[in-house]
Order: sequence, then C-alpha cells, then structure tokens
Amino acid sequence: MKSSSPRIVRGVVLVGGAALLGAMAIDVVAVIGRHTGIPLLGSIELVQVLVGVAGAMALLIACLHDSHARVRLLLVRLADNPRRSLLRFDDFLMAVFFLALAAGSGWILYELWDSHEESELWRLPYRPLRLLVVLTLLVAAGLMLRRRAGGERP
Amino acid sequence: MMATPETGLLGVLMLLGLLLLGVPIGAALGLVGLGGLSLVLGVEPALIKAADLVLETLTRYELGTLPLFMLMAHLCFSSDASRDLFDAAARCVGHRRGGLALASVAGCAGFGAINGSSLATAATIGLVAIPEMRRHGYSDALATGAVAAGGTLGQMIPPSGALIVFGIIAQQSIGTLFTAAIVPGLSQALLYLLVIALLVRWRPALAPATPKADWAARRQALAKVADILVLMLVVILGIVFGLFTPSEAASVGAAGALLICLWRRRLTASVLLQSLEDTLKTSGLIYVVIVGTLVFSVFISVTGLADATGALITRFEGGRVPTVVLMALILLALGSLLDGLALILIATPILLPVVTSLGLSPIWFGIFIVRAAEIGFIHPPMGMNLYVIQGIAPDVSLSRIFRGVLPFLAADFLHLFLLIVFPALALALPRWLA
Repeated sequence: MKSSSPRIVRGVVLVGGAALLGAMAIDVVAVIGRHTGIPLLGSIELVQVLVGVAGAMALLIACLHDSHARVRLLLVRLADNPRRSLLRFDDFLMAVFFLALAAGSGWILYELWDSHEESELWRLPYRPLRLLVVLTLLVAAGLMLRRRAGGERP
Repeated sequence: MMATPETGLLGVLMLLGLLLLGVPIGAALGLVGLGGLSLVLGVEPALIKAADLVLETLTRYELGTLPLFMLMAHLCFSSDASRDLFDAAARCVGHRRGGLALASVAGCAGFGAINGSSLATAATIGLVAIPEMRRHGYSDALATGAVAAGGTLGQMIPPSGALIVFGIIAQQSIGTLFTAAIVPGLSQALLYLLVIALLVRWRPALAPATPKADWAARRQALAKVADILVLMLVVILGIVFGLFTPSEAASVGAAGALLICLWRRRLTASVLLQSLEDTLKTSGLIYVVIVGTLVFSVFISVTGLADATGALITRFEGGRVPTVVLMALILLALGSLLDGLALILIATPILLPVVTSLGLSPIWFGIFIVRAAEIGFIHPPMGMNLYVIQGIAPDVSLSRIFRGVLPFLAADFLHLFLLIVFPALALALPRWLA
C-alpha cells in the first residue's frame, strides 16, 4: 500500500490534538474554578464533545498507521506469502467490522436527524458528532480495504 | 438461534480462533459479538446496539483519562524524564552491590507513575539502564531480567492504562482502582528489590559494586527530577484524596507535563505534534478494542454464559481461595497465548459475574486480573517485555533474558498468591480513605 500522505496524517493529528488539548484546558479550568469558588458549569459536556472528536481522529490515526493490536503467535511463524494473505484477510474483516458499525451509526443518525438531540446545559447539538462518527467509520473501512487491495505489508 | 450458554461458548471458541489467525483484537471481539447478537436477537438490534456503543465510548468522559495520561507520559518522555529518574536512583543506590539493578526497578516504578504501559516502561528505562549495567560488568541475565520485570510495574502503579480500560468495561470507579493499586504496586516493586538483594548476596559476581556518588552529585540528580516527582505526587495524591477525579487528574497531569517541557526548554512544535500523534495512535488502537469488547460483552451477557460459568464454579465447593487460584491458573494459561489487554478484555465479562457471585470485590478483581495479565508480559511464548528488551540488547539471547527473569517471575507468583489470600492488600487503602 502506498504510505498515507503525511499531509493527511498531519491534518488528522492537528484536529484530534487540538480537541484533546481543548479538553485538557477545560478540565484544568474546571478544577481551578471549583477550588476557587468559580465553577465552570457544564464542563463535562464540553469535554465529552472534544473527547469524542479526538477519539474519532484517534481511530483514523490508528488505521492510517496500521496500528491495531493483534495476536502474532501464528503470524510470526508463517512464511512471507501465507502471512501476507492472512493479513489481507484480517484487513478485510477489520473493514467489515467498521462498515457494520458505520451502518448502525448511520441508521441511528437517520432516525434521529430531526430530533434536535442536544446537551443539557450548553445545548450542543449531537447531530454533527454523530455525522463525524459515521464518516470516520466509513473512512476507516475504506483505509482497511485500500490496504487489502494494496497488499504490501511490512 | 437460541441465546444459550452453549451459543456463548461457541462464540468464545470462534473468538480464540480469529485471534490466533491474527485478526485485530477489536475486530475479532466485535465481529463475534455482532454476529452472535445478529443470530440471537436479529440484525437490526445488533447493529443499533453496536453503533450506540461506539458513540457512547468515544464521548465517554472517563475515557478521556486514557489519552490525556498518555499525552502526559509522552511529554515527560520528551523531556528526558526516564533518563533523569534512572540517574537519580543510580546516584543514590548505584554504589551498592546490585545497586544499578535496584535503580532500574526504582526507575521503572517512577516512570510507571507517569505512564500506564508495561512495554513503554520497559523500553524507555531499558534504553538507559541496560547499557549502563552492562558497562559496569553486570550479568546480562540480571540486567535484562530486572528491566523486563520492572517494566510490568508500569501497568500496576497508577495511572495504569489497563486499570482505566478495566474500569470502563467493568463499570467501576477508576479513582478507587488507582487507589487500590498503590499498595500492590509498591509491594511488587519491593519484592523485585528483595529478589535483586538476595541474588547478589548469593552470587556477588552477578553485579559488581560501582563508585559511590558524593552527596553533591546526588542532590544535583534529585533536583533534576524534582519537577517530575512533584507532578507524580500531585496527580496520585489528588486522586487519592479526592481533590479531583481521575479524568481531571489526567488533564492536570498533561498540563503539568506541558509546563515541565516548557520549563526544560524541550517544548517545540515538532515535539508537541509527535506527542499528540503517538497519543492518538495508541488511543485509537485501544478504542477499537474497547468497542469490540463492549459488543462482545453484550453478546456474552445475552447468552447467559457468564451466569452458567458462575453456577459451575459455585458448584465447585473448594472455597474462595482454591476457586480464585483456579481462576488465576486459567488466566496464566491464557496469558501465554493472548496479550495482556486482550486477556483482560476477554476474561472480564466472563469472570467478573463469577467473582461477584463469590462475594469478592470487583475492585479487587481489577487489581488481580491486571496483576495476572502483567505476568504474561514476562513469560514465554507471548512475553512481550522479553522481546522489547531483546530489541534493546540484541546480542543477549531470549533464553538468557528469560533465565534472568525467572527469579522475578517466582516473586510475581508469590505476589499474586498473596493478593489472593490477603485481598486487603488491594482493598485496605480505598476503604481506609473512604
């Protein structure tokens, strides 16, 4: 497989990293606020959304780097060709898993499209987050299928 | 298809087959769970439940703890914390016979307090400590064995990635789990120190004495790690004394690590981006596994396999200790096939109901299962820490590294047994603080 474009990786890291640093900053402000008598109301809602964005980007980064935990007991004992075939099969199953999750997430998104789902205090709409999750899962499945088609493995 | 314990057992067997074929752990767990749920409940409920778990997992406030603690560890690593921690310990005890090995274990315990991974702890401390020990004429087996075993402290001493994941799967308080892990983590480190002391007393040639550092040099080394030590204490004591939640502690820790990097003039754009990328990469890997496990857990729960296993074990009238010893043997056997995270994630949904039916605390079980999984890091054929150490010292054979680890492995078995016989090792501190 052609290596993923460094620009794409950089972009995903920037979005995910900014969300993670944002969550960090909000939590720190909330802690300081609580101990100084100026609580930041609804900080958990804000952190949840940012952690959700960071999590979605984390899924993509793991796929872009082919960083998936697996048991290598059999893989390391196989010759190159059968090992590559097995890894292609594994990538296919991974893609099927992501597609199934995307189908379910898309289904829920469709059902709740007009329900104006939002958080309690900050009234943050959940629809964009659900959409981001569906897109992330579809891209992740696409990356696994592209890797399978490429066939090149370390 | 009927939802019976046999269906669940078939699912577990399929899962083991897929794992051995090298299918990514998260996908294997998720596909078996999804497939099983589709058969017993129907495709629509299965897909909806799985999708619901994805968003719930990604936006779970407590799960933010994991990437933020990882970010803290990556930033501390970038500021050379691992080298400084080992240097400080080496200057304080390095002149004693076996002192550098003692310093390695102390360095691992220290680095474990800012990082929740066994592999990362073994790799980072090993890079600094193993060449140093070999340069001073230490036995290869002792040098590599001490770091491989010491590395497992990373997973026990809070903050621990494995305990965060367990807390999420088992729906237990991460703060209580961290508090419960303090005494087992420290007693594990003490046992390792005792092993080294006994080994060098028995065979002094294993670790020659090295020159003693003067007090000025010791003070200088300790001053260098003062910022890291303060950060560790703030994070751990903040959780233990309820100043902030574990999620907030992770944020405070990451912010503190950023400030330390800035203070040490190590914070550049590339360091920050690299730390964020490494953090997101590992988090993504773990999120996939957590989603897969949650789907698999629903399937196991629907089939009643966990209840059936509980009933079977309850019928085994050997008492609490023999039952838990039996469980430990099963975990150790599985630990020789599966890696630590997979073991915890697969075994928790099945064994946790059994443990609670025996009247044992889920918090104790979290410490017990992480401890059992840790042992898998240093015994073949999985023994990931052994491979990491061989990567650092390629001229030392795996069999020699394993020979070096054996005394520590014996200490691990003793420690696990003590944890079974005296659950208070884990439960006393949280109860006392409550």
